Amino acid sequence: MPGKSSRELLIFPVEHAQQEEQLVLAIASGDPEAEQIFVLQYLPKVRAMLLARTRDPEVAADLQQDVMIEAICALRRGQLRDAAKLSAFVRGIAGNLLKRHFQNASRQPVSLEYPDDLPDFAAATDTIAEQQQQDLIRHGISSLEPVDRSILELTLVEGLKPGAIAERLRLSSGAVRQRKVRAIRKIIDFVSKSVTKQIHSPL
Amino acid sequence: MTVCAGTPAELHALKYVEGTLSEFEAERFEAHYFDCPVCLQHLQAIQALALELASHPGTPIQVAQPRIPHAWRTPVWIISAVAASFLIGVVIFKSLESRQVQPTLAQRQPGSQPRAEHPVQPVPPSAQPVIVSLLADLSLPAYSAFNLRGESLDAHFEAGMQEYAKGNCRGALDVLAKIPTESEEARAGQFYSGACQMHLGDFALASELLRKVAYAGNSPQQENAFYMLAQIALAGNDPATAHTYLLRTISLCGDFEERARSQDRKIAKFTGPSKLDEARKPVTK
Repeated sequence: MPGKSSRELLIFPVEHAQQEEQLVLAIASGDPEAEQIFVLQYLPKVRAMLLARTRDPEVAADLQQDVMIEAICALRRGQLRDAAKLSAFVRGIAGNLLKRHFQNASRQPVSLEYPDDLPDFAAATDTIAEQQQQDLIRHGISSLEPVDRSILELTLVEGLKPGAIAERLRLSSGAVRQRKVRAIRKIIDFVSKSVTKQIHSPL
Repeated sequence: MTVCAGTPAELHALKYVEGTLSEFEAERFEAHYFDCPVCLQHLQAIQALALELASHPGTPIQVAQPRIPHAWRTPVWIISAVAASFLIGVVIFKSLESRQVQPTLAQRQPGSQPRAEHPVQPVPPSAQPVIVSLLADLSLPAYSAFNLRGESLDAHFEAGMQEYAKGNCRGALDVLAKIPTESEEARAGQFYSGACQMHLGDFALASELLRKVAYAGNSPQQENAFYMLAQIALAGNDPATAHTYLLRTISLCGDFEERARSQDRKIAKFTGPSKLDEARKPVTK
């Protein structure tokens, strides 16, 4: 892709409509490097969306590739007229595939066109960074009080509401809500501080 | 791209992961974090936290039971006497109530429901579960056509639901069984077949059908299926399983949430919340 190297685009994500337009045009003209950048930029966002919507990591992992393939094929065909709407375009594709998934959960999956020359999706999964984040999260969890950990577990894993958690832990709903927000904030702060330290540390 | 301090994620990310954000807000948040690395990172951290907690569950914390001073402890014989008189009262009340209600039903639906079609309550093995089984709501769920876009429904489904609406469960079952598995209405058909089997008293078959619907993922009938599974468990004097299904119903935050919550509270009153949690068993899908 002309202008910036793929590494630069990763460090400074596609910020402006002009850069997105460049990316869209480059994919339409058949630039494999642009496709790789597109995957690196959008796969984490698509993964987050699919995970939140399906609440099933396996289903999300299956669908994320379909979303990226469908998006790349459409971009290759030049189907996106307004390059500034690249994000909305990708979200739209993800939304459609999710809808199709929920409607056809018991049926055979709809076959997608699978071109041979696809970018490397595995490269977009930064296993080292993910492992580091997971380690940080684990560390953050271990620093929580047992009650806070239980509240987070009952909320995020069992999907219980504060009222039900309060009943189980003999706390008030208000206390559950407060502890939940505080515990989440503590872990997020811990993760972001550690990530910031890593970014600012000399290479 | 605007400079963001992460406020949208602080406000919405947790609710988004929990699935309690409205569709409109969820879409707005998605539109935001697709262009905001700060909020995306926040969201990813919560998702990673959820995955970590799911893969490494902690030991459940022990909630301290409030200690009752010795002087306040009630002798066991008094509790037993009160419980026994309460049970006798409930049984007498229920038998009188059923005698009064049955003729009214017969007058309302002359000949439409043969006697055998009334739900059969299993024989209670002990006095305590009798009360729990009385909580079971085995009424047929109402059917409202969900044909919103003028699309035509499967003919068998339509015919089956006409029988269902008349209260003819056997007739409905015969027709619903003919719905092809690849039909859009196959799952709904399975659900209403389960409801019919429950109404006819075949709890094993009803549970099998309803479990398929409940664990098949998101569908308009999923929440109702979990709720009905809880009712079947209650009718079978199994408060622990009922509690588990009611929690699943509550977690879906839909139309049955309040009903399930209130029923769960009633069960806890009879059995005690700690007993429920001790006895809570993993439900087979």
